[in-house]
Amino acid sequence: MLSKLKSLGLTGIDGFVVDIETDIVGGVPNFELVGLGDTAVKEAKERVKSAIRNSGFEYPVKHITINLAPADIKKEGPIYDLGIAIGILGASDQLQNKTYKDYLFLGELSLDGTIKKIKGVLPMIISARNFGYKKIILPKDNKEEASFIDNMEIYTFSTLKEVVEFLDANDLSFKENFKVPTKTFEEIALVNSNKLDFENVKGQRMAKRALEIAAAGGHNVLMIGPPGSGKSMLAKCFSGILPNLTFDEALEVTKIHSVAGELDLKKGIITERPFRTPHHTATAISLTGGGTHSKPGEISLAHNGVLFLDEFPEYSRHLIETLRQPLEDGYITVARAQQTITYPASFTLIASMNPCPCGNYGAKDRECTCTPTQIHKYLSKLSGPIMDRIDIHVEVDNITYHELNAENKEEPTAKIKERVDRARKIQLERFKGTKTYCNAKMTVPQMKKFCKLSEECQKLMEMAFTNLKLSARAHDRILKVARTIADLEGVENIAPNHIAEAVSYRGLDRKYWD
Amino acid sequence: MDNYKKFLIFLSKYELTNKKLESIMSIVEDKNIESIDNLIEDADIVNLLSSNEYHEMLKDANERFLSSLIANLEQSEVKVITKKDEEYPKSLADLQDAPMILYAKGDLSLLNSKAISIVGTRSPSNYGKYVTEKFAETLAKAGLTIVSGLAYGIDAISHKKALEVDGKTIAVLGGGFNHIYPEIHTSLANEIAEKGLLISEYAPFIRPTKYSFPKRNRIIAGLSLGTLITEASGKSGTIHTKEFALEYGRDLFAVPGNINSPKSELPNILIKSAQAECVLSGDDILEYYGIDKVKQEKKTISLSIEEEIILNLLKNGEQDFDYLAKNSNITVNNLNSYLTTLEIRGLIKRMPAKTYILN
Repeated sequence: MLSKLKSLGLTGIDGFVVDIETDIVGGVPNFELVGLGDTAVKEAKERVKSAIRNSGFEYPVKHITINLAPADIKKEGPIYDLGIAIGILGASDQLQNKTYKDYLFLGELSLDGTIKKIKGVLPMIISARNFGYKKIILPKDNKEEASFIDNMEIYTFSTLKEVVEFLDANDLSFKENFKVPTKTFEEIALVNSNKLDFENVKGQRMAKRALEIAAAGGHNVLMIGPPGSGKSMLAKCFSGILPNLTFDEALEVTKIHSVAGELDLKKGIITERPFRTPHHTATAISLTGGGTHSKPGEISLAHNGVLFLDEFPEYSRHLIETLRQPLEDGYITVARAQQTITYPASFTLIASMNPCPCGNYGAKDRECTCTPTQIHKYLSKLSGPIMDRIDIHVEVDNITYHELNAENKEEPTAKIKERVDRARKIQLERFKGTKTYCNAKMTVPQMKKFCKLSEECQKLMEMAFTNLKLSARAHDRILKVARTIADLEGVENIAPNHIAEAVSYRGLDRKYWD
Repeated sequence: MDNYKKFLIFLSKYELTNKKLESIMSIVEDKNIESIDNLIEDADIVNLLSSNEYHEMLKDANERFLSSLIANLEQSEVKVITKKDEEYPKSLADLQDAPMILYAKGDLSLLNSKAISIVGTRSPSNYGKYVTEKFAETLAKAGLTIVSGLAYGIDAISHKKALEVDGKTIAVLGGGFNHIYPEIHTSLANEIAEKGLLISEYAPFIRPTKYSFPKRNRIIAGLSLGTLITEASGKSGTIHTKEFALEYGRDLFAVPGNINSPKSELPNILIKSAQAECVLSGDDILEYYGIDKVKQEKKTISLSIEEEIILNLLKNGEQDFDYLAKNSNITVNNLNSYLTTLEIRGLIKRMPAKTYILN
């Protein structure tokens, strides 16, 4: 007998529908699974067999053929176990009716018949919804993840037996027990985890201001300072002043994390902007994504959030260069022999570095032991196109003991965030109807339109270039940052003091190093 | 080209010591040797050479080789000056270990101009940078030639400042012109060759060595009326320059620094032991030599109250951003823009680690 039911698969972070066809005929007992599955899919045979027996059903001693269609797309992972098991039960007449045809099945089986959680549920359900499917059966552990999807009937189960009982039941109220109640995003988003607060960072006024501007305009930042000066701490506080994730952004982020299996299953959806800190020994693939079991990399996990690269020059040149496309376009395309996948990767880059290999160059209280050649080599690792994509350079220095113990209150994150939110609002209004959403992403025509300089400003700009020996690449960066500073102030036109402040964040163009 | 110069060009290829060169050349003059072949066959000269040197020389001692050497020099616009030339600096002529030969690129007239050398550490503090720039500016503007060694730190700052104010500068190299050290200063060297003068006692293809740098310091000290030490540690190579200056009876100037700063150790000791004249500004040196200072046009600058406050806070030396923010009561964003405007107007300077200093 033949049975047919539906399941889902993933390419990149988008889902597709898979048909699980099961045919059972007499003959030599055998189990055949076709349809381009990977090893995990093929091993379903053993799991399904034990799970069916241990749940009190009969495993047919016949020739079983299973096909996962479409047969030309690669299928990965143990997510088809449940579908295959139901397919076999259906084809061997152990189910009372054929309601299983109305559902999509996802779930991994263990030998005793329990259903285990799987990865990538959220993107798959979203795709299923887009394809017009309504009913879906999932592992119980994936409940939270699925609870944000409206217009769907989602049922979760912990054992195979439960699923069969559910399919056989005619009682609607019984069925209702397994349905996942939908939650609204706002309910969850309110519960904010304890994050580092700017209140706890003493001193470092310049760096704080620079980060505020960066958050307000979506600018990338490079922090330069000796070890122990608080660069990492500042970076960690940074995600707190970014504007809240919108529901669509949150779904996007959750999708990526779900595919990568990095989702906190208790929460289900990611409500805070991600903060990723890959170490400088990371491989290019772990950063960009891809690999045999294609997974999004660190830069995609930082999508809509912050990518913090500590000790920036220690990352290999190759690694730094791979950041160029995502920093420009907001996504990364990973081409492999078997498939080409595009992952979203629109993040704010916060990089930090020491001023020299020993870290003490320019420090007040310590001596630098580097030779000028060493310093030159260290800094030259960053030259070129990557620096073109970092708008703000800011220096961070050790704070004194006196400052550390000062009684005066520092400004809390919440207050800074208010200003950032206001500035972002102005920008959203300004770029309405275009793809741009913040000043950092302005195109050249947009800059011409929105960064008009008065004569006074132009004169100042010119003087800054000649007197401070700025390099040419600084020009556009200064304009964008000045635009953000003006937005923070709530002013329509860029004024000379905005330009002057923006100029002060171009440290590396100034060469006061040598 | 006379034989004397030709022989020197030939001999200087073998990195002989200056003393050896001198003895050989005096034999050449005494015996009136007229060709390279004769030179290499002369028993007295051969006696002076080590066997290595002799065999090396024997290999390429012919007129063809020599003319190719000279052609090469001409092609790369390198001029050769010997003691017999008019251009040879008078300040060096009487010194007992005066260089026999000088390779030069640039304005030869500078060799006989009034010069002050500025030397010091390769890794100056913010204070050292500031002081060096100030002195170099005043001295160069007053028409003195700034002599230094093209090294990192004080040397490079002095050269750069002199060029910046359209003054004159001489860089004395520790190796040949084809091996500028440090390499990063190649563009600086080119600029000096164009607007000032680059000299070396080594043939262009000779690489600098650990020992050649102290030797070139004698030329730096010798070329100048006086040597100014702005910042140097007690173990610095600057000590060589100082010693040559004292040996040659030239003036020595030192800028006092913080007694706790290891980088001001040498100048402070020199002042304490009265070996060096204590100078507080370039004007002190000009006064010492009776040179008129260039009148600075006093610009009347209108300052806002906030700018006055900032300048006042910087009066006692360099301060960092947080200090200024705390003590000026100006909001961080405004402070940033005031500081930049002040900097653009040339009133203050920004140093590494967000430190500011009065200009």
